[in-house]
Amino acid sequence: MRKTMQPNWQTPRGGLLWMLVGVAVAVGLHIAHLPIWIVAAAVLAIILQVQVYRGAWGHPPKYLKVLLMVFCIGGVLSSYGRLVGLEPMVALLISGFLLKLLEIHHRRDALILVFLAYFVVVIQLLFEQSVAAALLVILGLIIVTAALVGLYQSAEQSQWGRPLRQSSVLILQSLPLMLVLFMIMPRIGALWSVPRQQHSAVTGVSDSMSPGDFTSLSGSSKVAFRVEFDGEVPAQSALYWRGLVFSSFDGRRWKQQGSGGYSDGNILQWYGAELEPWDSLVQRRGEPLAYAITMETSNSPWLFALATPVPDSAGIALTRDFRLYSKLPVTSEKRYRVKSWLDYQLEPQVLPAWQRQMALALPDGFNPETRKVAEAWRDETPSPAVLIDRLLDLYNREFVYTLKPPLLGKHTVDEFLWGTKRGFCEFFASSFVVFMRAAGVPARVVVGYQGGERHPGEDYLLVHQYDAHAWAEVWLDGRGWVRVDPTAAVAPQRVESGFADLFAQTEGFLEDSPLSLERYQHISWLNNIRLRLDALDYAWAKWVLGYENVQTGLLTRILGSIEPLRIGLFLLVAGGIAMLPMVVMLYWGREKIYRDDLDQFFLQFCRRMEHVGIKRHSGEGPRDYAMRIALLKPELGDEVGKLSSLYELQRYQGRTLSASALRSKLRRFRPAFKSRN
Amino acid sequence: MFKRWRDRFQQRYQQWVNRRLPAASKIRLNSKRLFIFPTRTGFYFGGVLAVLWLIATNYENNLVFGATFLLSAVFVVAIFHTFLNLSSLSVEAGRTYPCFSGGRAEFGILLSQPGHRHRDSIKLHYQFSDPVTTSLPGTELAEVSLAVVAKQRGWLTPGRVTVETVYPLGLLRTWTYLDLKMRALVYPRPIDAPGRPASVAAGSGTQQMVRGREDFCGLQKYQVGESLNHIAWKHYAREQGLQSKQYSEPIDEQIWLDWDAFSGMDTEARLSRLCGGVLRFSASTAAYGLRLPGIELAPSRGDAHRDNILKELALFELPASGRP
Repeated sequence: MRKTMQPNWQTPRGGLLWMLVGVAVAVGLHIAHLPIWIVAAAVLAIILQVQVYRGAWGHPPKYLKVLLMVFCIGGVLSSYGRLVGLEPMVALLISGFLLKLLEIHHRRDALILVFLAYFVVVIQLLFEQSVAAALLVILGLIIVTAALVGLYQSAEQSQWGRPLRQSSVLILQSLPLMLVLFMIMPRIGALWSVPRQQHSAVTGVSDSMSPGDFTSLSGSSKVAFRVEFDGEVPAQSALYWRGLVFSSFDGRRWKQQGSGGYSDGNILQWYGAELEPWDSLVQRRGEPLAYAITMETSNSPWLFALATPVPDSAGIALTRDFRLYSKLPVTSEKRYRVKSWLDYQLEPQVLPAWQRQMALALPDGFNPETRKVAEAWRDETPSPAVLIDRLLDLYNREFVYTLKPPLLGKHTVDEFLWGTKRGFCEFFASSFVVFMRAAGVPARVVVGYQGGERHPGEDYLLVHQYDAHAWAEVWLDGRGWVRVDPTAAVAPQRVESGFADLFAQTEGFLEDSPLSLERYQHISWLNNIRLRLDALDYAWAKWVLGYENVQTGLLTRILGSIEPLRIGLFLLVAGGIAMLPMVVMLYWGREKIYRDDLDQFFLQFCRRMEHVGIKRHSGEGPRDYAMRIALLKPELGDEVGKLSSLYELQRYQGRTLSASALRSKLRRFRPAFKSRN
Repeated sequence: MFKRWRDRFQQRYQQWVNRRLPAASKIRLNSKRLFIFPTRTGFYFGGVLAVLWLIATNYENNLVFGATFLLSAVFVVAIFHTFLNLSSLSVEAGRTYPCFSGGRAEFGILLSQPGHRHRDSIKLHYQFSDPVTTSLPGTELAEVSLAVVAKQRGWLTPGRVTVETVYPLGLLRTWTYLDLKMRALVYPRPIDAPGRPASVAAGSGTQQMVRGREDFCGLQKYQVGESLNHIAWKHYAREQGLQSKQYSEPIDEQIWLDWDAFSGMDTEARLSRLCGGVLRFSASTAAYGLRLPGIELAPSRGDAHRDNILKELALFELPASGRP
């Protein structure tokens, strides 16, 4: 019977407003990766709902909604080409969410909309994880919660602002408890694999290299990764962060060797898995250097480490060419630990024929001049080591390291070595390797980052995108793969003090980011701000985004040991403490009765009279009370009469005395004291 | 068998409620008297949290974990907010309004609070009444009136009133069942039977006087509530205090609503017709009296007289427990 009382449920006005704002905010948060038609649909749906609410338009008919649904699915298909995947699924969720907005007939519908809005808002965090994104999501949750409050606010109380105030209070009061839960609740790791973000460009070094690629990186001041060493930070010139190894050259572009090229075992050796046979090819000497790297989003699986590394975190593999590889692309900040032996020898014994062939291959029809010179030099020099020195010497004497190299034509190496002689790290690495191969020395290109900026306040190293670097590795009999950096021969400062120091004041440095604080490293206070901000970013990445990496250590330090009982107790105690301010605020904060000064004054007067034994009857006015007092205690009559008329004057003829004047008048009135005398 | 168990459970439950929430005409709500439990929406919200947790776990995304924990904390905080929306509220029996059988008796209930807390969306209802929602937007008082359908004459006790709220988030419901010791009088269903005259006595013999409007019959001390038109202003001007002029009028017709006039009918049918008579004569200028077996109310006029008669009709031959 009660159900039939509300056949046509009307959304409370406050609820509707915040629902619409919530929908707008939820869709707005996703705007960066949504196709434009969904944004347009959101605007339309909101307008439609407002018109329906105003009674200007009727509810959309059913066939229209079916049509819109088909249109949405078709739209998602045509925008993404598929329905499975993170972005199309989120786009589908959002379009369903917008369609739900068109059919709110009962409170149940509104609740579904609000719950969907919670999803849409929170899922934004799968796409972006910056501090700003987190704050925006909290704002979104406040607004969606306001919509929920609005749905339950009684109709006669439909003030616009009230739900927002209420939900802000709720969310703020929930924050301490959230922190406790965040700290304590165990993270159990992925239960099953889920579609990940796909439509995102790889940032940082890519899986191929052609002339000019690195100049775009030199224009970016973004952080590539941060490193925290357990011990001392090695010298700047030792910081070669190996990322990819390029063995295949097509005349212009360097690429990785396909996995088919290697034939001795799996090319990936996962952390914790059994050692592959090729692991014995590396000789690690001395104590390893242990450190933790926090990668920024790169959307690629390449991880960076000093040679020669061994992974110390799950989900990471050592590859056949002795670098690190992540199981999942780095779509959000990723923290991993590595052990590196800086004193190593890589495959020093023999180079198998197939590998030698791979490291000597050159495409036909390219760089004839270089091949000719290389062959001549090979015959003139006694050993590859001497040959290397001779080439580096040539670079040192005749070449210029510049961010603005001239463009190169078909024979890139020929034109560079014997023509322009001006270039960037990739020109040197590429030409060096081609020359070595032409001279019969196995060689390959390695790309990654070189150097890093030590954060003065915090104990970590910052590696920027502009630190991207390319160098060479040659295989020497008895020594294995040896790193040779031809850029260091041309511009030793590049390697010894870092890229930023070398180029900070020159044209072309961070050309693409004119507002970047990195550009102004020579202005010390700006530099300070930049480093502070970076410390914040790093703390966020370490303590929030990668919390599962530090959780065990932190909880062990707090609890002594991690047992379910201790965790439960800690949750109770810390949760209780977290709730305490809120409970105090709720119980005592608003229970207080607010009276103005004058009332306080009168009540205090009444209390004093009560001590003397004359209690004011309920409903007795000040004047009657004063007269009764005068009858019962004539000695007080005068003073009481004055006070009561003072009260009346103040109350009914406007305030002329301040609160403090009233207090001082009352202070002098001590009936209890007097009557005892 | 099952029914007997259920009945026994119901009985036990009622006993428990009676012990825990004894009847009183004014009850201040506190943690002993309030219950709280998630609503269906609250459980759905739990489902939302579970799905968010799964997303966070599978994407190993700590910010989604954070958002999930924030919403979980909101649920916990909402427990306090929902509870405090009712806590320390006083619920008091207000006026009751009698009705005729088949109509709706109204029960006024006063809500009051000592402070200025904003209390929103408080729903009150009896088992057989439509719910009424009210709020105290920082005010000290609110009054609601609940209408209960009266099925039979006599005292109507509406049972325990449910006071509940799901504000602010609708995820939790806090409620209580209160017995405010309220009851309303239900008069018999009136049936107008003009064809059957009640017994009429001509007033020519013994002149009886009732308070009326026509003949002045003396002064009495003014009572608050009397018409100002009746104040003897001349006496007041002579400083003789406030006197009010009393009038009387002769009764020219005495009507007896007589039980015996409807012989051959059952009790309820007779009472209904007597009740119809009361309504008819109270609208006229005639004085009327009531004769029931063992009860006789002398003819008179006025609202108080009418109500007395209606009350006798309502409670006639009911067991003593139904009587005041």
